[in-house]
Amino acid sequence: MNTIRFYTHSIRMLMKSRLQYPLSFTVQTLAQLVMEAGEMLAVLLVIDRFGGLKEWSGGEMLIFFGVMSITFYMTEIFGRGITGGIDSMIRQGGMDTLLIRPRSIMEQMICRDVDPRRIGCIAVGLTALIAGSAQTGLTWTFIRILLLLEAVFFGMMMVLGLFLIEATCSIFSVRSLEMINALTYGGRSACQYPIDVFPRPIRLLFSVVAPFSLTLHVPVSFIVGKPLFGWPQWTAFVCPLSGAVILAVMTVVFNIGIKHYRSTGS
Amino acid sequence: MRALYAVFRMRFREELRYRGAVIGGVICQTFFGLILIAVYRALYDTRPQTQPLQDVVTYVWLQQGFFRMMLSFDGELTEKIRSGGIAYDLCRPLNTYAYYCTRGMAQKVTGSLLRSVPMMMIAVLLPDGWGLRAPVSAPALFCALLSLFCGLLCVCALDMISNGFTLLTLDGRGIQSLLNLLMMTFSGNILPLTLFPDRWQGVIRVLPYAQLLDAPIRIYTGSQSLSGVPAIWGLQLAWTCVLTACGLLLWNVNRKRLVLQGG
Repeated sequence: MNTIRFYTHSIRMLMKSRLQYPLSFTVQTLAQLVMEAGEMLAVLLVIDRFGGLKEWSGGEMLIFFGVMSITFYMTEIFGRGITGGIDSMIRQGGMDTLLIRPRSIMEQMICRDVDPRRIGCIAVGLTALIAGSAQTGLTWTFIRILLLLEAVFFGMMMVLGLFLIEATCSIFSVRSLEMINALTYGGRSACQYPIDVFPRPIRLLFSVVAPFSLTLHVPVSFIVGKPLFGWPQWTAFVCPLSGAVILAVMTVVFNIGIKHYRSTGS
Repeated sequence: MRALYAVFRMRFREELRYRGAVIGGVICQTFFGLILIAVYRALYDTRPQTQPLQDVVTYVWLQQGFFRMMLSFDGELTEKIRSGGIAYDLCRPLNTYAYYCTRGMAQKVTGSLLRSVPMMMIAVLLPDGWGLRAPVSAPALFCALLSLFCGLLCVCALDMISNGFTLLTLDGRGIQSLLNLLMMTFSGNILPLTLFPDRWQGVIRVLPYAQLLDAPIRIYTGSQSLSGVPAIWGLQLAWTCVLTACGLLLWNVNRKRLVLQGG
């Protein structure tokens, strides 16, 4: 309970400080919106040219895209402390400060930063979701909304877990970690399309190592009424839980990793 | 000219220092390429197009390999503008525009050479339908390389315009993100230009963005016949002249009303 109060308090303070320069904030939010709109434009152009992707119609592709960008950028808004700049914090010795405080490292890391500018990306994601459900004639029943919320919530946990892999690696290697981006940002680009369009190795990667398919594709395919691989309904509720598993495993790994931390600061 | 050559060489060496980071970059970029190709293969299964799939695959590899030619960001310049450090550069007995243009060009050349050569080697080894295909003919390869050089000049001129806006507003992030989106979209990076709607083709082919990488790649894959190549070079050089003129104008106007920051 104490942790949650601590977190909401930090988030509120950080948000306030980020909104101190309204003009700069607005411009940067618009810049984010423009960037994500470019991604959506690509999907729209693909739909215009190809009509659909395997058995998925254009509207369904937009729904997948929308849920993906909402999940990913919600994580970046509220989990910025983990998704951004851990490596530079470690490089500059900032980790030392966290280690001497009487709180757990994970708790302090998540309370470190927020990034409200990403709301621009979420606006685009919502637009895609609404446009997609209008095109497919989807009615948002209670159970569908519940599934969507579950998919987004556990998806956020999984993305945080993936960024923790990067954080753990940066304890051991101070230099560039572009390779890990293949899992996080690569996963975002790949899994905005449903998993069953990919060949087996990519499918395995995004089901076992970075299970975007379990947290996102399985529930969303139920929402649009085309269950992936013909799986029964209960799987749509159970599969997203893998996001929590990834986060739990990575928290343990990170805490082991931090025992080997050597300060780099001066 | 000799001074600019020295600037180019210095920047080239500076970029060469971080060879370790390149390996990670290449692996990451190759992975992105594979995912894009997987998506295009699935799309072609859904509805085949007149343009052969193999051309699209080659297009993706060349775009990924020369990604650094388009996306290069001179963070040092932005920082100098914000902190007022640009005053030192204005004191140099060199044209500031030419100085930064040369720096940018060196960064682009090193970045894309270091990444594209290992990536092309990986891409050639991949099985048919996934890998890079050889150019249609030796003359086509030669023409494509010349066209790539013209494209490099063109993209440098474009970058200098975007830097000029930073000079104007100090915080260029708003306008730069817009210009970046235009570049990424209409240079064929997020989707090959041939897959854009047919009714757009007449316009997007003439835009300066199509001259950067799309034109050389079309010559490479042979979808552009060799007889039309001189017209493409002409268009590329014409855009380079126009854009350089615009950039120079922007820089000269700004230099007169530049307020130095800091103290």
